[in-house]
Amino acid sequence: MEPRVIRFRLNGEWVRLSVMPNELLINVLREKLHLTGTKYWCGIGECGGCTVLLDGEPVLSCLTLAVDVDGRKVTTIEGLATGEDDLTPLQRAFIEEGAIQCGFCTPGFILTAQALLRENPNPTEEEIREYVRGNLCRCTGYVSIIRAVKRAASEAVKSRRPGPAAGAASG
Amino acid sequence: MSAEGRFRFVGVRVGRKDGVLKATGRATYAYDVWLPGMLHGRILKSPYAHAEVRVDATEAERMGAVVLTPRDVPDVLFNPRLVSVEEDTFKDWRVLTDHPRYVGEPVAAVAAASEEAAQRALEAVRLEPVRVYRPLLDPFEATRPGSPAIHERVMRGGAWVDVEDNVACTLEYSEGDVDRALSEADVVIERRFHTNRRYHLQPEPKVAVSRPDPDGGVTVWTTTQTVHNTKILISQVFGIPQSKVRVKKVFLGGGFGSSIHTNLVTLVAVALSRKARRPVRMALTREEDMMHDHVSFEMHMRIRAGAKRNGRLSGAEFENVMDIGAHQIQPYPLLGTALGWFVSLYKWGAIRYFGRAVYTNKVPSCALRGYGNPQVTWAVETVVDELAEELEMDPVEFRLKNYVGKGDLFWGQGPTVKSIIRSDGVPELMRRGAELIGWRNRPRPGEQTGRYRRGIGVARGFHTSGAGGPLSGSVIDYSGAFLKVNEDGSVDYVTALQDHGGGTLDAHAKIIAEELCIPLEKVNVVWSDSSTTVYDVCTHASRGVYVGGEAARRAAREVKRKILEYAVRILNVAVGPEALRMRYDEELKDAVIYVEGSDAQTTLSEVARTAWQRNWGSISASVSFRATAAPPSFTAYFVEVEVDTETGRVRPVRVVAGADIGTVINPELAEGQVQGGFVMGWGWAVLEDTPYNPETGALENMGFITDYKVPTAGDIPPIEDFRVIFADTYEPTGPFGAKGIGEAASNPVAAAVANAIYDAIGIRFYELPITPERILRALRERERQGRESAQERGGGLS
Repeated sequence: MEPRVIRFRLNGEWVRLSVMPNELLINVLREKLHLTGTKYWCGIGECGGCTVLLDGEPVLSCLTLAVDVDGRKVTTIEGLATGEDDLTPLQRAFIEEGAIQCGFCTPGFILTAQALLRENPNPTEEEIREYVRGNLCRCTGYVSIIRAVKRAASEAVKSRRPGPAAGAASG
Repeated sequence: MSAEGRFRFVGVRVGRKDGVLKATGRATYAYDVWLPGMLHGRILKSPYAHAEVRVDATEAERMGAVVLTPRDVPDVLFNPRLVSVEEDTFKDWRVLTDHPRYVGEPVAAVAAASEEAAQRALEAVRLEPVRVYRPLLDPFEATRPGSPAIHERVMRGGAWVDVEDNVACTLEYSEGDVDRALSEADVVIERRFHTNRRYHLQPEPKVAVSRPDPDGGVTVWTTTQTVHNTKILISQVFGIPQSKVRVKKVFLGGGFGSSIHTNLVTLVAVALSRKARRPVRMALTREEDMMHDHVSFEMHMRIRAGAKRNGRLSGAEFENVMDIGAHQIQPYPLLGTALGWFVSLYKWGAIRYFGRAVYTNKVPSCALRGYGNPQVTWAVETVVDELAEELEMDPVEFRLKNYVGKGDLFWGQGPTVKSIIRSDGVPELMRRGAELIGWRNRPRPGEQTGRYRRGIGVARGFHTSGAGGPLSGSVIDYSGAFLKVNEDGSVDYVTALQDHGGGTLDAHAKIIAEELCIPLEKVNVVWSDSSTTVYDVCTHASRGVYVGGEAARRAAREVKRKILEYAVRILNVAVGPEALRMRYDEELKDAVIYVEGSDAQTTLSEVARTAWQRNWGSISASVSFRATAAPPSFTAYFVEVEVDTETGRVRPVRVVAGADIGTVINPELAEGQVQGGFVMGWGWAVLEDTPYNPETGALENMGFITDYKVPTAGDIPPIEDFRVIFADTYEPTGPFGAKGIGEAASNPVAAAVANAIYDAIGIRFYELPITPERILRALRERERQGRESAQERGGGLS
């Protein structure tokens, strides 16, 4: 196997690096680029913990080959906000609704929910449950997570701003 | 109780302090620690359930890997959990062994520059079986004469003890004349129960990074619920002074009891890094974590209980056979607490207990959110439901008549930890819950027809807040806090206590803010390590808020005393510190210190700045606190389920989850504990198990999450039908009246669900989980019996 050079837009900035053809996106993000907000839970596409956005669509980075993101846009949790001052409505809602406990599933949930709100800015409870059911959480029992997504959606609708998927987030 | 109005900071709804770190992906977990130049470790795990093996690592060494075989690790027998006192700690573990006793037991380990290189080296290690034994996967088979001995002898404290018939340890106990009580009872029922063997599925797989330090010590980042006990164990196994073992506190991606003990990866990483003289990262994959690392205690229970026609329980026998797997983590203390869970639920009258922990060739068992309590509560709450039915009493009233409550002697943590109950919200939770769910209008068991049948069930439970008591028993239970006031009046709070996500440290920050009358944002919780914190035994037993929070409150009180002493000097009025008062000032966002009836006042910031500028010295306090009680947090759950009689699937329709946790310090996080506890309990009730292949002794789930089904967002009731209620109580021994919550939240779930299923279809289940397959089988069996008895009746008539 020969390494290949890939170039992709990561959280709004172009990066260029050499990867092996069998290298997984999760490992490139976590180990080469040290973006550890993308979490390893299962490594085989069963829990949603390593979800990132690829051209705005949620994908499991543990099942995505790094070579497949060549020329595309990747958003990880680090791309949404740098701290308290620029949190997205979803991030704020997750914190305020108590939707975060151990926090290990949080990045995957927030990115999945963000993709949902981009597709469907005002989802019903049933639609939220259906959309996020591939993401596992062992702490919250999902109630506060569903509430947080609802809250972010209704705040976005109320403020008549574009949905929470706008801005740097869609990078 | 509702803290609203009584307190300034305790009980407020405010986003958790670590929320921004976690929501932005900036929180560092042990799995995220990446050191320059570090090697990656892999563990060679036994493919045999029980064998003696020979390890040949020549080839792996030739490939340049750092290799450890059983000969390269200290010849020390240990128990990875240090919560019990030495004389009650059984030791039968080694870091690596050439006598593996379960599939997955670590035999050898390698480290190399990348995980891939390490894996290649690992595959080059040869493992030759010298002797292979028949796997023992059932405790009753294991104790049969002639079964292979899993351990010949083990250590208890510092002395060797022989193991007979694979019995790891036993406990017997009795009070009163049970035989007489049961013979005089009006109703007696006897039932046998068998629980599932559940896997924690904590989000973060077990991992350790170990860095050898120039002083001969090590620095370790690992998944642990206790940095201090991990420090002590590393010191004991490797003979490094404790002052040279630094265990760093990092975020923990869920614990649920799986890291009360030091995970084996930690010791393997330390051993590899000391041999390599380089940092080593030893991370388990999900499959390894599940297949080889930790599960709950699988229990076989028998309960025989009697009651009088007047609705009073009169006597009970409880037999508890625990399938502990191949090594001891905490079965011996669990034999005591299982009895504690049993006797502290109801006033049984006379009791007789027989507890036995048995070795099998399975993954070793450890605590899983409740430490045996969910198992015992499921059995007890089934029996109690059946007794109420036999007596034709309302199950709610029968429970209220017999439960252990306020003023009663309580020994939830076992016979060595006793105290009196001082706060009790059970009647309130039972009555309100019954009303909210519509208890009086519930269906009658087994009366429904049609495909979908609904039923309502109730169960109650409790868990202790820690393991403290007036006397020092066999459990170590104390906590430390260090608090200092910075020169601008903000405070740094340094604690060893781990917050697994429940919000324990948010509660501590609120307690400190309340005591010092300063805004929450001025309390900084410091992430530190075992060298710079005062000892804390462990975040377990739902003790974080009750014990650790009280340590924080005492440190704050001590700091407050010093603040007032300095304030006297500034105010320059002829009074001592005892005449000063403190209050929070919303405008200044500071504590104001004043003399009642006078204009004289100053602020905490002013005191802190003055103490610095005038060379008075720092204000700080260090506290080590041991609780003298372990009050029960009570829960009472009402659940409505719907059973699909064609598929066997059960779904939760409505839930009213009531909890008595004293003062509610973090309302939204405490609700989250109850919701999360319910949903985890739901998984235990109807989904989760880890079966073994009888031939190979290997786990059949293959370690994949889809093979170990857990609840998803699609499996919970509609959120407006998921009610959480808190009782209005105040625990006089707790910090600002608080008790614990984590484990009480899941303890009664399986029982409530099982009782609801009974209400829906009229069938009781004595084996967990109550899967669709088991429900269908039971429904078909009942149909068959119905047909047969109809035929018999028909035959008799003709």
